[in-house]
Amino acid sequence: MSELDTAGNGLRLYRSMVIIREVELHIERLHRAGRMAGSFHSSVGQEAAAVGVCEVLRPDDLVSSTHRGHGHALAKGVTVGGLLAELFGLANGVSGGRGGSMHLHHPDSGFLGQNAIVAGGMPWAAGAAWGARQQGRDIIGVSFFGDGAASQGLFYETLRLAKLWNSPCLFVCENNGLAHSMPAERLFGDPGTHCRLVAEHGIKAEVVDGSDVLSVYKVAHSLVGYVRTGYPAFLEVTVGRARAHSLNDPEYEYRDRDSGKNWLEENDPISSLRKGLPDLSEEFDQIDLEVSTLISHETTRVESGDINQANDALRDVYTVDSGVRND
Amino acid sequence: MHFVTYTQSTLVYVMTELKYAEAVRAALRAELATDERVVVLGQEVGALGGVFTTTKGLQREFGPERVLDTPISEAAIAGWAVGAAMAGMRPVVEIMFMDFVMLAMDQIVNGAAKLRYMSNGQLSVPLVVRMPAGAGTRHGPQHSQQLESWFAHVPGLIVAMPSRAVDVYTMLRQAIRSDDPVVFVESKYLYFRESGEIDESVLPELPVTQTARVVREGTDLTVVTAGRMVQRVVEAARDLHESDGIACEIIDLRYLWPLDTGAIARSVARTSKLAVVHEAVQTFGWGGEIASWVAEYCLADLDGPIVRIGSQRAPVPFAEVLENAVVPTEALIKEKLRELATY
Repeated sequence: MSELDTAGNGLRLYRSMVIIREVELHIERLHRAGRMAGSFHSSVGQEAAAVGVCEVLRPDDLVSSTHRGHGHALAKGVTVGGLLAELFGLANGVSGGRGGSMHLHHPDSGFLGQNAIVAGGMPWAAGAAWGARQQGRDIIGVSFFGDGAASQGLFYETLRLAKLWNSPCLFVCENNGLAHSMPAERLFGDPGTHCRLVAEHGIKAEVVDGSDVLSVYKVAHSLVGYVRTGYPAFLEVTVGRARAHSLNDPEYEYRDRDSGKNWLEENDPISSLRKGLPDLSEEFDQIDLEVSTLISHETTRVESGDINQANDALRDVYTVDSGVRND
Repeated sequence: MHFVTYTQSTLVYVMTELKYAEAVRAALRAELATDERVVVLGQEVGALGGVFTTTKGLQREFGPERVLDTPISEAAIAGWAVGAAMAGMRPVVEIMFMDFVMLAMDQIVNGAAKLRYMSNGQLSVPLVVRMPAGAGTRHGPQHSQQLESWFAHVPGLIVAMPSRAVDVYTMLRQAIRSDDPVVFVESKYLYFRESGEIDESVLPELPVTQTARVVREGTDLTVVTAGRMVQRVVEAARDLHESDGIACEIIDLRYLWPLDTGAIARSVARTSKLAVVHEAVQTFGWGGEIASWVAEYCLADLDGPIVRIGSQRAPVPFAEVLENAVVPTEALIKEKLRELATY
């Protein structure tokens, strides 16, 4: 056993993944019960990408994310309460109830935030990491995005610029096989294609199995170390999409009704980790219990939090209230 | 977030006559020298010094780490600058022609403009996006548009549109020091045709009060305008005064947002008549916003119809005779203002 797959690491990774999984399932139930509004994009099944990468980051490393970003936020240090309050639209939410599910921002945790425009967060992380280096700060950026981002011009533009200016940024492509309903296989071919494509640009690129969080962690550890020396790198994490694109997306129109569920049964990173570390089952059970308690406690706590006031709706459009109004 | 403190400037400031383009350069130079967080990014801004010379010599003076040639990737440049700004930098992005900003629109509108708000005030995007706009230089339909109305519509953006070199200098320095994203609309027609005495020793005041400027006082009618059209309106007004004795009051807005409605209202109260002149396409242009604001809040002061004078609803054509049929000419402005004055 190398130092990277010690029992301590296993428990830490497990705990982070379970928090994400249980929060996502909890949000699903809250929506079904009519206690949350809007939509959300579940990251169930993709936890290993967020956790495996974020566990090797420092608190002030800067992360950008996507519309499917609850996992990234939680893994980078956004609290369960802050996230839930945000999804309830409350003033104590991580974005003050102004952002909702797709616009979580928490720079104090190094979470620049989600960008709900596909590929839009890539230059944020790369530019922020570069800007921080310009100011002598020893941090890196990490941008999470999906396979769909590779269909955007910004994907290539940002990678070229990151290479040209040596931005210390790790680009993490979560290839879940579907850009909404468009199969990645049809567009790009087999998993790993994104990695090969980027490697051809002269950027260090790796592919890793997202059902194995220890592998993700190990590869991320090595790539993050490389990125800290002042270069961009790319990591393709092969995952699957266990849920529909978004809450009420009629996915049965474009794929078999049970395909997400079936994929998760065979590739669940959480149960895989449990199976791989059988000696820790008691500790894992204990974590399950703690997380469940945490979530119900936090839900009760934040739900009674501050309701947003209508007269606060125009705050922070600008730094200084310009005094120009609609009247 | 960590900030680098301001450093002592080593520039020697003098009172100089500068062209509009030189005023851009002088403002960039002053801010680059004052604040290490300021960086200039754009296509050909380095060795070439910008296609309109607005960054000439800056890379040599401040180095390739501060004045950066970018690939032809407007979207990534804008997004990169948004990220850098969130991390405490003060990037100034040059979009070679305003027409190319469409490629960067998502990052400006969905990113820069919204981040302070949607992060509940946790993030700032101190970004300036400079762009030469407008017709008059015979660049044809994809290099001549005047698109500031689009940006003025977006909450979160400041829209600056200077009409003269002295304003360019002050407004650009203030824009770079602003913690809000600024869309800085320059007139490429005026780059080498307008100049002014600039006192480089005067530091820009903060916080900025974005106000309009009364260019010429008059009692017969108010003309609200901005950017390149200011010069045309001034010439038209001078002719009208000489030929017909009509006294136009001219207001150069300088900023489309924040909008100095007070200056407009005060003037209309005196003159009772309003014309709005802009180079942007007239239909759904910002003149409509001014007109409706005045109709809504100053109706009792009005003694005539509000007149809008903007470009025709057509792309800006290459041939001069066609361009003059699309973009408001001095003759057209004069004719319309005379009609209003005699209403």
